[in-house]
Amino acid sequence: MTGRRRLGMVAAGATLLGSAPLTAIFDSWTWLLQVLLTIVMIAGAAVLTRTLRFPSWAQALGMVVALVVTLTWIFPSGHETLVPMPATFAHFAELIKQAGEDTRAYAVPVPDRDGLLFVAALGLGVVAIVIDLLTAVFRRPALAGLPLLAIYSIPVAVYLDSVPVTPFVVAACGYLWLLVADNVDRVRRFGRRFTGDGRDVDVWEPSPLAAAGRRLGLAGVIVAVLLPLAVPTVTGGLLSQLTQNGPGAGGGLGTGGGGKINLFASLSGQLNQTATVNLLTVKTTEKDPFYLRFGVADLLTSEGFGNQPPGGTPLNRGSLPDPQREAASSQARYQRYHADIQVSDALRQNMAPVYSYLVGIDNISGSWAYDPNQLVLFSSRSTTRKQKYSIDYLRPQYTPTELRSAPSLPKDDPVRQMYTSVPDNAYVETQVAKLIKGKRTDYDKVRAIYDFFSVKNNFAYSLSTQSDGGLSAIESFLRNKIGYCQQYAAAMAWMARVAGVPARVAFGFTRGTADGDSYVITNRNAHAWTEVYLQGFGWVPFDATPTTGVAGSARGNSDWAPDTDRATTPTASSSAAAAPGTGSSAAPGLNNRPEAGNDGDNSALADPASADTQNWTGLLIFGVIATLIALLLVPALRRVLLRRRRHAATAGPPPVLATADPTEPGPAGAITAIAVSTETVQARADAHAAWDELVDTMVDYRITIDPTETPRVTAQRLVKEALLGPEPATAVELLGTAEERARYARQPMQGAELTSALHQVRAGLSHSATMRNRLRAVLFPPSILLEWRLAIAEASTRVMEAATRLRDGMTRFNPRRLLTKSR
Amino acid sequence: MTTPTWGEPTGPLPSAEFRAATQAIMANIEQVIEGKSATVRLAVAVLLAEGHLLIEDVPGVGKTKLAKALARSIDCSVRRIQFTPDLLPSDVTGVSVYNQETRDFEFKPGAVFANLVVGDEINRASPKTQSALLECMEERQVTVDGTTYELQAPFMVVATQNPIEMEGTYPLPEAQRDRFTARIAMGYPDPRAELAMLSGQSDHDPLNDLRAVADAAMVRRLIETARAVHAADAVQQYAIALVTATRESPEIRLGASPRSTLQLMRTAKAVAALEGRDYVLPDDLQALAVPVFAHRIIPTADAQLARRTTDTIVSEIVHRLPLPVANRNPYDAPRDGRAPYESRGR
Repeated sequence: MTGRRRLGMVAAGATLLGSAPLTAIFDSWTWLLQVLLTIVMIAGAAVLTRTLRFPSWAQALGMVVALVVTLTWIFPSGHETLVPMPATFAHFAELIKQAGEDTRAYAVPVPDRDGLLFVAALGLGVVAIVIDLLTAVFRRPALAGLPLLAIYSIPVAVYLDSVPVTPFVVAACGYLWLLVADNVDRVRRFGRRFTGDGRDVDVWEPSPLAAAGRRLGLAGVIVAVLLPLAVPTVTGGLLSQLTQNGPGAGGGLGTGGGGKINLFASLSGQLNQTATVNLLTVKTTEKDPFYLRFGVADLLTSEGFGNQPPGGTPLNRGSLPDPQREAASSQARYQRYHADIQVSDALRQNMAPVYSYLVGIDNISGSWAYDPNQLVLFSSRSTTRKQKYSIDYLRPQYTPTELRSAPSLPKDDPVRQMYTSVPDNAYVETQVAKLIKGKRTDYDKVRAIYDFFSVKNNFAYSLSTQSDGGLSAIESFLRNKIGYCQQYAAAMAWMARVAGVPARVAFGFTRGTADGDSYVITNRNAHAWTEVYLQGFGWVPFDATPTTGVAGSARGNSDWAPDTDRATTPTASSSAAAAPGTGSSAAPGLNNRPEAGNDGDNSALADPASADTQNWTGLLIFGVIATLIALLLVPALRRVLLRRRRHAATAGPPPVLATADPTEPGPAGAITAIAVSTETVQARADAHAAWDELVDTMVDYRITIDPTETPRVTAQRLVKEALLGPEPATAVELLGTAEERARYARQPMQGAELTSALHQVRAGLSHSATMRNRLRAVLFPPSILLEWRLAIAEASTRVMEAATRLRDGMTRFNPRRLLTKSR
Repeated sequence: MTTPTWGEPTGPLPSAEFRAATQAIMANIEQVIEGKSATVRLAVAVLLAEGHLLIEDVPGVGKTKLAKALARSIDCSVRRIQFTPDLLPSDVTGVSVYNQETRDFEFKPGAVFANLVVGDEINRASPKTQSALLECMEERQVTVDGTTYELQAPFMVVATQNPIEMEGTYPLPEAQRDRFTARIAMGYPDPRAELAMLSGQSDHDPLNDLRAVADAAMVRRLIETARAVHAADAVQQYAIALVTATRESPEIRLGASPRSTLQLMRTAKAVAALEGRDYVLPDDLQALAVPVFAHRIIPTADAQLARRTTDTIVSEIVHRLPLPVANRNPYDAPRDGRAPYESRGR
């Protein structure tokens, strides 16, 4: 088998290995079979066409035909017999369209859908053809890395958080195999291998030079792994992920781009936000809507509230329950609203944000189900990514008086049993007992607990909790009194449960920023709050988190759970005049209305740390870019400085002697000695500086320098080669004569206008040079780069020589010699 | 060597006079030899460098005419020797004959006793006769029968030879060749010059109209002026480098002699003076390398088999050898520490 055919087979194998990342995409292995068949067919076509010595274009054509025929076999439309017909291509188009729909409908890993399988086979077939052509025809196997990388980028794009590393390793092995095979083939065609000691070795025998190659490869891999760790990124690389351990809800998608919000209301933790990402756009008919809601956590452990998977009926079967007719929530008053919700690319979770008491939904794609208990819209397969749906919902209205009328649930009520179980904690129990002393109704108990979380009681918002060793998480929160929404929501729910009232934690988004008549919701609007079950009213929301920390908080909009902090301000909350004065510092609860400015203010207050981080990241990136640009400009700068110095030299003092005509000196008998005075030394230095500058300018403009040429010949050649006009030509000749006289004559030329001559020559060269050369001369002057390269080469040579001397000395050093000498 | 007569003005000439005198000589010669100003200039340069000139070319291109024109332009003693196979050394140097009247041997000076000796077809004489020139060319003296006779200054041998004709010729021995400062080829005139020659020389020989424009004393002063031309250290180093390169070239069996180094520098000074400079340029050396070196060196057998002429070998050396500039001029101010550009490669 000739090298080329063998390379083709290796290319096919590498493509197959390169398809490994697709394992992360598909649920089953059907795709592998089809891809294998496609690649084998293409490789077969390649070998056949090469055996028949077809030209390159015919080889490519053969492979394309093989691909189309294979696809026809695997995905028949039913109208053809092995050979593709027009109907087949229509079928293909249909499959591609179907694949487009499937990518929207399914979350990874996807099931075997014809469309997706077709696209996988087609894509890998194209990659196989490209790699085969690059490797066997164009002999550029290194470029084959690009299509392989393209395959790998699919799971990278789909999974935002992390991608399994094994498929990458497999694909990388395929790539390396390809490179090795190509090199072996090259060596084989060269005929023999160089071993360094003149010995002839077989192709597969390891060469002494291979050790160096292995070392280089290892160094490269280590650098490739370590470098990204050190590079700061915006959305979080490995380092950012390691340093950000805060769960997501409460103020944002903490882990930076998971696309999902963790439904766990932790009682301790830390919240890190890096960038702001737009998640949703909501347009509703309701004025001042309450929070969007998507999830519930009701399983209480000592760490916090956890989520249990929702269950319910699919949307297309059965209608949504009407809260007005349900006994549990029939006593509240309801108002019907309509909202359009548009989800961005960044939010990919299988729980759709809706306003509570959903009664109607349109246009949501994929299969979704509704849990009437948790009041959650969820899906097992689809995600909210790029969904655009509209909902009808009922907004309940309560008053404290109405809620006070709600009777307590009997102890054996299943709801009460389920939602009041708490871990034992004596501290919480005494606290609750203290708070609800004398309160008779459930609502009053809950209000007492709710009011407890106030600024008056020294509760404050913070992005991280403090932990006291030995104390349980909730006790530590209740004592330290700082935390973010998760802690407030979870602690209040816990305490309500202790008081015998069913409670749970709800997750959702605050109102966001008003943008015209719609609201834009970002990851900073993610929030958690408490829901308390009051018989006859259903789950009533209480938001205990201080408003200072929550962008777009709607706390206090409600009569039944007013902003406790606002009530504590000394001025009456009804006093409009006094409110702004105290608002910004003491009572930011005024930021109730969703105004963009206030929200911006709020978010700045909310996450001073993250804002700082962002600033720092921005500054760092700016600094790195500025440094890079500055580094790039160093050669140009060095050139300019050098030129300025030489010009300063050539401008020099005014001519002392009368201008000597360079063409008229003659063998004057008068001057026989070599002139050595300050002026002549200066004139010589000037001429040399001008000449050096001219030579560097020539190098800059890509005019060759011939070391055998005299200044005169160089000047003449420059005029001829660069097609200089008469003025620059005169200037060049003047420079040449000046240098010539400075080098060889008794009397150097004095008083010549070398600086202006240099300017003229430079202008002339720039005029006749191409745009590219001109730019290069200014930005990356070759003279400077050349000088540096030479300096580096010389320095390394010196180092090598020193090392050799040292080694020789070490080798020669023999302690016995000392003995002999001393004897 | 130079033996000025008493009362004659000596010392270098001012540049204007030098220029006028040399221009006059060259213009005079160019009346006869048309369109060959470079060759004429080289011939005059060899005269000013106190050297000897070998004119080598095919018959009929004006070798002898150039020699004669040079001789006629200078008002000094001129002798001509037609080298024939039967020419004897005594015909060249002179002979002692018995004088009946004085009853003593009396020295009859030969043809070399002149300021300018024109040796025509020098390679037709036997080596024995050719060798008679060795002493006088280098040492400017003749020794006959134990008596040494000084030759006058200036003394210049202008010889011609025909490279094509091999029958009945004796190639010049190496020693003899090395004594010639430069070998020049006339080359065919260009069509215009040839046309002018047809119209001007059809009825009479312009050589007959030629008048002397300088005398021996003037030539001596010109020579002195040319000697005063400055050769910087860098130029001298370059000359040494060139000579060394011919000795080290793998294509050359016999390189250029130290005498040739001296002659190269002298001729370069003369050329520089003729061009109105008081300093020698490497350009002068480059231009003179082929005329000065090519006839002395002996290529190796391999190079001869490869039909490499000495001219091409020397000119390749010139084009290969970098200019020494590490120390451009010892009187320079210290440089700014940058490597000289010549070491940068292309």
